[in-house]
Amino acid sequence: MVRQYFIFGFLSLLAVVGCTEDPVDNAIIDDQAITGPSAPTPYALEVPAYFPAPIVDPENPITEEGIELGRHIFYDRDILSSDGSMSCASCHKQELAFTDGLNRSLGIRQLEGGRSAMSLVNLAFNPSGFNWDGSSPKLWEQAIHPVEDMLELDNDWAEVLRKLREHDDYPARFRAAFGIDRKEEITRELTVKAIAQFERTIISADSKFDRVVYQNTDFFTEAEQLGADSLFFVENVPPGTLHPGCGHCHNAPNFGDNKFKNNGIEDVASLDDFVDKGLGGVNGNRFDNGKFRTPTLRNIALTAPYMHDGRFKTLEEVLDHYASGGHNLENEDPNITGFTLTEREKEALLAFLNTLTDESLLTDERFSAPR
Amino acid sequence: MKYLLPLLLLFVLTACQDDDDPVSATEEVELSLDFRADYAGQPLAIQSGTYTYPTGARLKVLLFQYYISDLELLPVGGGEAVRLTDIDLIRWMSASEPATTTRSYRVPAGEYRGLRFGLGVKPELNARNPSEFAADYVLNEAEFWGPTTRYVFAKIEANADLENDNTFDTGLSYHLGTDALYTTVTFDQTFRVAEGSSPAITVAADVLRALSASGQTFDISNPDQRNVHGGNQEVGRDIWERLAGQFRLEIRE
Repeated sequence: MVRQYFIFGFLSLLAVVGCTEDPVDNAIIDDQAITGPSAPTPYALEVPAYFPAPIVDPENPITEEGIELGRHIFYDRDILSSDGSMSCASCHKQELAFTDGLNRSLGIRQLEGGRSAMSLVNLAFNPSGFNWDGSSPKLWEQAIHPVEDMLELDNDWAEVLRKLREHDDYPARFRAAFGIDRKEEITRELTVKAIAQFERTIISADSKFDRVVYQNTDFFTEAEQLGADSLFFVENVPPGTLHPGCGHCHNAPNFGDNKFKNNGIEDVASLDDFVDKGLGGVNGNRFDNGKFRTPTLRNIALTAPYMHDGRFKTLEEVLDHYASGGHNLENEDPNITGFTLTEREKEALLAFLNTLTDESLLTDERFSAPR
Repeated sequence: MKYLLPLLLLFVLTACQDDDDPVSATEEVELSLDFRADYAGQPLAIQSGTYTYPTGARLKVLLFQYYISDLELLPVGGGEAVRLTDIDLIRWMSASEPATTTRSYRVPAGEYRGLRFGLGVKPELNARNPSEFAADYVLNEAEFWGPTTRYVFAKIEANADLENDNTFDTGLSYHLGTDALYTTVTFDQTFRVAEGSSPAITVAADVLRALSASGQTFDISNPDQRNVHGGNQEVGRDIWERLAGQFRLEIRE
């Protein structure tokens, strides 16, 4: 009996001792806390004098740390896609002016998405909605959907956040960028805002066109000059001239007015027959069916195939379309009228369009994958 | 004695205040100003409306916009005009939008004898490039022709059915503007602005009256008259003059 009491007493003591906190160290270990710098450094976008001032998003001010965090996430396959095979950069390749060369982007399942990947240059100057159809009013909102779209990265935001919070490096980067104290404060919104901060820094402004027109350090060839003067920038449009000049919608220096238009590429019987309704699919207005955002022509020689569905493989096909006119639908842009385009003019126009390529953009390490 | 100086000061200030001053220098109230687009006297329905043109054609209007510069209220008694805005772009481009768009301003309460604005971009702003402003400012590259022709003061775009075959296959695009066309529009109509009792004030513009008025109708069957862009403003001069002359100010107490 005594022996039983002894054993019971020993076990009780063991239990009590086992439950007692270490008397030497009373600190609570908080595995959610993030340490390190937490005061982000404001960043001013570098914009040439011939560009307008970039649009400020008061909900997402740009900081050095935010840009760097966004760049890391932009290129991080492990974090963004469910199988670790793709990131934003998979469809927005720097060497292709942040497009992918496909008519419709392929997601992790190798299935085609709905549209062609848009170039990401000069997004800081877009006053309209983002995406081809304007479905994202703000740039940072744009990055939400591709992560969870089964035809794109096919991931779950909860899973993305879990990986970010458990990562060795990202929590400190989030703290540096947004001043947060705890891992659980890493949210979807902060993640896409960081991506948007990086994207807003991608400014393309150093093409031959810029060097000739704005910097006065280069010269157009005869063909390039003819292309610019004959059809692109037509300031003095003679009466009866149907074509107002490509620059009518693709105005310099950004070469895309970001407005939503039916540019006449779709031959459908009525406004209700568009397979891809574009802006009309977003706002539910049938008169906006078939309208898509006018994209920039900067680096256009690198961003084939063309249009929202990549239907035109070459710039020649694009020019042929505009020269042939549209399909006479009631919401077609009235400036799609058809016009005569000689072979010489076409070659000249193509030569001019090639001057919009910004070679420095393609290798600029600020926009490349982090090492 | 110590109250003498403040009392004298108060007396001087009170004496300076003019009871008959029509515009209070201190009390500011909110004034809403409506801009309405019409076609033939009816609110314009972008794209969804089908309109008859005097030549028998039918129109779908896709875009109507114009710049206004130096929008000002004119105080009764000839005081200094109250500037509401230096520049604004009034635009209808979507079937989702109503025919009336509203702007709000803070203005001194008081009685006014009218309102005026410059139709177009005033010369000192027209001389400035889009690169001098933010990309989302009303003066931007999307409304800018180029270094010579500058900003597009007004746009009317439509698709016409000339053959009455229910196909709106003739594009009409009238882009107007140059310093020489800049026109001041003045309304002489009295109204009083006061806290909570300001009248409803509407600046109305009629697309049809810009194209056809006083027995003169712009001939859209002529291919040479379907597009006005950049330097060929002579073709559109009469459209501009009709546009500048047709604005109406509606005041409802």
